[in-house]
Amino acid sequence: MSVDTVIEVKNLSFRYAGERKQALKDLSFTVGRGEFLCIIGPNGAGKSSLCNALVGLIPSYFSGAKKGGVSVLGQDTEGTSVANLASKIGLVFQNPFNQISYTTSTVEEELAYGLCNIGAPRDEMRRRVKEIAETIRVGGLLRKNPLELSGGQIQRVAIGSTLIMRPSILVLDECTTQLDPLGSEEVFDIVKRLNKDGITVVMVDHDMERVARCADRVLVMNDGQLLAIDTPRAIFNGIFQSHGVDMPEYARFGAAMSGAGMYGGPALLTEREAINAGKAAIAV
Amino acid sequence: MSKQNKIKTKKTSSYIPLDSPIDRMHPMVKIYGVLCLGIGCAAFPFLWLSYAVVAFLFCVAWRAKLLGRFSKFIIAFAVPITCMLLIIQGLYSPKNVTVLADFGFARLGLEGVVYAFKTVGTLLVFLGGFYLMTTTTYPGKLVTAMQDAGLNSKAGYLVLASLNVVPQIQRRIAVIQEAQTARGVEVEGTMSTRFKAFLPIIGPTVMSSLVDVQERGMTLETRGFGVKDVRPTSFVALYLTPGEKAAKKVLVAFLIVCVLFAVFWALRPVLGLGV
Amino acid sequence: MRIEIRDLRHTYPTGEEALKGVSFTIEGVTPVAVVGQNGSGKTTLVKHFNRILSPTSGAVLIDGVETTKQSTAKWSKRVGYVFQNPDDQLFLNSVRKEFEFGPERVGVPAADIQKRLPEIAELCGLGDKLDSHTFDLTATQKKFCAIGSVMMMDPDVIIFDEPTCGQDVEGSRRLSEIIGHLEKRGKLCVTISHDMKFVAANFPRVVALCHGRVLIDGDSREVFAKPELLKKSFVSPPPISRVSLGMGFEKPAFSVDELVETMKARRRKMA
Repeated sequence: MSVDTVIEVKNLSFRYAGERKQALKDLSFTVGRGEFLCIIGPNGAGKSSLCNALVGLIPSYFSGAKKGGVSVLGQDTEGTSVANLASKIGLVFQNPFNQISYTTSTVEEELAYGLCNIGAPRDEMRRRVKEIAETIRVGGLLRKNPLELSGGQIQRVAIGSTLIMRPSILVLDECTTQLDPLGSEEVFDIVKRLNKDGITVVMVDHDMERVARCADRVLVMNDGQLLAIDTPRAIFNGIFQSHGVDMPEYARFGAAMSGAGMYGGPALLTEREAINAGKAAIAV
Repeated sequence: MSKQNKIKTKKTSSYIPLDSPIDRMHPMVKIYGVLCLGIGCAAFPFLWLSYAVVAFLFCVAWRAKLLGRFSKFIIAFAVPITCMLLIIQGLYSPKNVTVLADFGFARLGLEGVVYAFKTVGTLLVFLGGFYLMTTTTYPGKLVTAMQDAGLNSKAGYLVLASLNVVPQIQRRIAVIQEAQTARGVEVEGTMSTRFKAFLPIIGPTVMSSLVDVQERGMTLETRGFGVKDVRPTSFVALYLTPGEKAAKKVLVAFLIVCVLFAVFWALRPVLGLGV
Repeated sequence: MRIEIRDLRHTYPTGEEALKGVSFTIEGVTPVAVVGQNGSGKTTLVKHFNRILSPTSGAVLIDGVETTKQSTAKWSKRVGYVFQNPDDQLFLNSVRKEFEFGPERVGVPAADIQKRLPEIAELCGLGDKLDSHTFDLTATQKKFCAIGSVMMMDPDVIIFDEPTCGQDVEGSRRLSEIIGHLEKRGKLCVTISHDMKFVAANFPRVVALCHGRVLIDGDSREVFAKPELLKKSFVSPPPISRVSLGMGFEKPAFSVDELVETMKARRRKMA
């Protein structure tokens, strides 16, 4: 493993106990330090299972038949407890309301919850809570009861509660699906900034326009298999439409223009690129 | 985000957040209160003590700004249980010697009546105290206090989770009931319609609770819950004020006096002390 | 079909004023989308259509009848409501039983139920899952099971709350099919959605709510031509509409092909 590899997945297969179908089939890939990797694929493709495997919930929380392995920062996830891995890799789930501990009365306590569990001293906790509150922009909410927050706010607190363990990798499993557009943007902005500050991000997302805009690389999954892992421009060149994966509208627009002989460049990934290419096409 | 989630935000336990001296009090003092007063009254041979303590609890409820709710709780509980015990013990207790009233089919005996009132009094002290403790103490604080006193963190979580589960299920039921009425299940009307309406609600309630429990379990795990060989710390520091320390001592003294008196009273014939 | 909303106001017991005087009328069977930021009152509004909620003041009339005149269960014959979370709705041990439950409750003859069943199962993609336990369905299948179980009651109006939430391409495509099918059969479909691609593709009429009031109500092309106004409710037109507006076209395009056709026409004109 090179110094810049933070996650290495090697021939990973997994079948949940009591199920006939393999949830993950022989996956191999690596994630580099500071990378923004998006995982896409239709429902049931195995995206969540992969996330669970990255943070070690597979195989410690879910039993089943596992082959191959995942190593995070050089440490095999098997044989390391999820709790211990929490300081290396953190996971944020879809439903914000299942991500609060239900044991705390204020946002600051909620943020500190993980630190309490690992027995951090109190002044260390206070320092980190203050720092994290700034990062996730909940400074004004610290004394509020987590249950009084909006979905977007809770999801930010959930990210904060994960970050407070100082993981260098953040895994987000459709963490904006249940939020409205504004809440979703709030959360996503934070993730983007964290990535800029050096945190490695692995994100499952259905919003293809966003994936195209933000990902360094895109991993396409279907039926438990890894179909491709490449830059968005390569992925959205039209090859993967048939695998139940949506294309960003901008890329489809580019493809349609090419078909009509109006465009000949690479896949279009952002609104700006699409507008410019479109304008150029009608300015002829 | 769904309505279901909005509902979830309302309340998670029987705790009612009100700013009062009772609310601010260290949870351990309240636990001591419930146990010492309850056991003391149960041990004490005369029934007046329980009622004196119940009167004291009313004062506490007033200080906690909960007098109305507390009265309702006590009445709703005390009236039916007293009637029931009066009938059972008053009419049929084998200890009955002194007849208070003769109804023909049965006789009301003094001993049974006293026993009934004694039992009701003790129950009121326990339940009233417990009610006040849970309504005035944020569950998180309660568990922190218990963990400070040496409670295992998993047990602590269990306490909190059980405190949370009932109101949560109630909220889920409200949503599920809406979904069922929209499918033609009549929920208004006679008892039997209501009962029939209840059936379709059970399945989804249990299922969704199970799903929630699984996801929350995963969350806890990723937050380092249950990490081995580490003594968990807490974010909020709970300190006993000198007044609270004194209160704890008074409560323990109360318990000791009650128990000693009970022992003395029970041994009276042996010691040869007549009345 | 006619749903008339007259100065509808709703205040929750908590004191939160969710609707502050909403008035509009839905006539016919053209699908209507209700959009807007969380807390704008979308769900509160549609919950008045089958009397899950009653107005604090004002009224909702279904074909001239005030909704408060009868119970939700009675309205379920005419107004179907698919909740966002299928787990709130499903409780029986097979898809078939879920499908039969609603119509049985409202007294549809068994023969009619059996006639409807295969067609709706097919539409919902559950044709081969009829005897599966609902626990064994995937999240997507559960959603369609909930949709199917409401369609089985054959109501005149169906309300969907966030039907695309968590759906993939295949799920969205199937939903479009169902919406088209309902319209063809003379059924009105009212949908709450955050997914503007889905809204643009399926709903000719869009009502945008903002803080308990109607912000814009009209033809979807006109509504999505006003991105600045929509911003107030944190709604933005679908990506391809934004591209077409950004390119300087007056009317927002709703699909890639449409935009490319418009561009071709423009090039021909210029040439």
